[in-house]
Amino acid sequence: MTAYVVQRLLLMLVTLFAIITLTFFLMHAVPGGPFTSEKMLQPEIQAALNAKYHLDDPLWLQYLNYLKGVLSFDLGPSFKYAGMSVNEIIAEGLPVTMKTGALALICVVALGVPLGIVAALNRNRWPDTLVMVIATIGVAVPSYVIATVALYVFALRLGWVPTFGLDDWRGYFLPVFALSGFWISFIARLARSSLLETLQQDYMITARAKGLKRGTVLIKHGLRNSLIPVVTVLGPVVANLLTGSFVIEQIFALPGIGRHFVLSITNRDYTAIMGITIFYAAVLMVMIFIVDMLYLVLDPRIKYRADAK
Amino acid sequence: MTHIAPQMWAPAVRDSAAAEVIAAPSLTFWQDVRKRLWANKPAMLGLGFIILLVLAAIFGPMVSRHTYFEQNLKLSNVPPLFQTYEVTDSAGATTRFFFNSGNLNLYEVTPSGEVAGLLRPAKKDLIKKQQQFKFGYHEVLLDTAKQQLSFADGTALAPTGWQWNMSNVLGTDQLGRDVLARQLYGARISLTVAFVATLVNFFIGVFYGGLAGYLGGKADTIMMRIVEVISTIPLTLYVILIMVVFNSGFLSVVLAIGSVYWVDMARIVRGQILTLKQQDYVAAARTMGASTPRILIRHLLPNSVGPILVTLTMLIPSAIFIESFMSFIGLGVTPPEASWGTLTSEAVETLRAYPYQLFFPAAAISLTMFAFNFLGDGLRDALDPRLRT
Repeated sequence: MTAYVVQRLLLMLVTLFAIITLTFFLMHAVPGGPFTSEKMLQPEIQAALNAKYHLDDPLWLQYLNYLKGVLSFDLGPSFKYAGMSVNEIIAEGLPVTMKTGALALICVVALGVPLGIVAALNRNRWPDTLVMVIATIGVAVPSYVIATVALYVFALRLGWVPTFGLDDWRGYFLPVFALSGFWISFIARLARSSLLETLQQDYMITARAKGLKRGTVLIKHGLRNSLIPVVTVLGPVVANLLTGSFVIEQIFALPGIGRHFVLSITNRDYTAIMGITIFYAAVLMVMIFIVDMLYLVLDPRIKYRADAK
Repeated sequence: MTHIAPQMWAPAVRDSAAAEVIAAPSLTFWQDVRKRLWANKPAMLGLGFIILLVLAAIFGPMVSRHTYFEQNLKLSNVPPLFQTYEVTDSAGATTRFFFNSGNLNLYEVTPSGEVAGLLRPAKKDLIKKQQQFKFGYHEVLLDTAKQQLSFADGTALAPTGWQWNMSNVLGTDQLGRDVLARQLYGARISLTVAFVATLVNFFIGVFYGGLAGYLGGKADTIMMRIVEVISTIPLTLYVILIMVVFNSGFLSVVLAIGSVYWVDMARIVRGQILTLKQQDYVAAARTMGASTPRILIRHLLPNSVGPILVTLTMLIPSAIFIESFMSFIGLGVTPPEASWGTLTSEAVETLRAYPYQLFFPAAAISLTMFAFNFLGDGLRDALDPRLRT
């Protein structure tokens, strides 16, 4: 167990290193320097800028310096916002993204799982049909379509919620809804099929035959076993909530990391793109690690060994 | 107690020949799959929709009267359906026109329903928020604040009926380009990106996964560790990074999506090959001297075609989605080219004034996603040997 955790942590470091290297060289493969897009600069100014950001150093030295910076949690200065560091950009956007993301994650679990259970327990009856129709729509319709249609109907037409920003608590409704819509549907479908499979297992009948109450059997034997596949997808869910935030924060004009990321792409702010990507990678790896540990707690059959997997 | 008819208790006739009769027709695996897929209504609906869509994307732009890039700023944001008004002047000539509440303009309409052009106001009174139009001796006042049309004496103008826009069947966008032509062209781009990118993914994934699964051992471990490292962060991020390097455009979208999304395919192919290569027929082929590529291509891949096919049908909608996602955040195809993503994001810009413009691209992409999802689900069920009847 400890050996497994250590191995996982080591692998995470290797992965992070690979991603840093990849993003660094990708961003430096972009034709033209970070200042070429600006109006023609005097050669001296260009040279001064290059010297200021150490862009006149050989590439390997820049790489080493960057690596050193990342290891000490310094993602470097932003090229487009003078005096602003990538760390500050992330710190500014993080609370917003975290709040909407966490709410979306709660919605995914708190709505998706019960919907799936209701559907499975009422198999082929109207609650099942209803849930499956909604879930099919939710899986097929892209999040930005859900977001824009919801924006039009609830914000512009009905005026129930503000069209942008999070100053009002009602402002959270639409972004969280649009962000979590796909995954609520996905989890509902997954929980349904998983629970249906579990309900057919012999140990369910055994437990009932031994005189346990229906509810006890369902919760202790049915749910616990059928939720394992749900837990395994939570890692990808977190990852997709992050990338989903690019579009959602854009549509609802939320000042989160996703919006900063998209802005830095349109501004061709290479250090910011690099830094936010690495930040995302680090956050995700930690989340996936946590989910895997959760998996271990939920399913005692799984004993991770260092050499297995 | 259910009642059982007496003849049911009679002993069955023993006939050794009857025991050998095969009741169901003998079907090969693929015949069975086809039969079950055809019986699956949603999947068939999806397939039909996809075929129609592909035909529309190929031939639509050819037969369309408009091109996707032709602009007509005088006729911008014209709706597909409008309420017409008629005014007859002193000479007896009737002018038919409609009022576009989004940009507060009056457009003349021909009797056949084509939009003839903009009607210029004779006088604009910005303080009273009124515009005056002259039809011979008749004067029509347009109150832009209340969005009302009335004669000079104050009687309101009554609409004469609804008319479908015959010159631009789905209306025009903010630059006066024909929405239908752009939709068809967008479908062309979106589908091409999806199909080409999926094909690229297919080849890379099958090659990589097949090799890893077949070689096994150390090579497999290393190759799969690489896949694991790649898929740690969302693949969308790689697509974005690659798009930043290559700049937006049709080719780079295909390249970016094609070079990233093969990891799932590789995983599935590897899993298949790992189980299949233990089979006796592989050993038999090897004993007879078949080379590694031959075993891979002739024996292993055809047998893992089911899961590959399902993954492919699921890859196409996700490629469409990623392309539109990239276009939506401004990294996709470059204007004036259109894809469903750019069309949606253009519609969002004018959401307040012309909400209906959002309908067509949103509906197009959602229906396509439905179609591919249904087809993929149907294929998966049809190919699942456990569900075989």
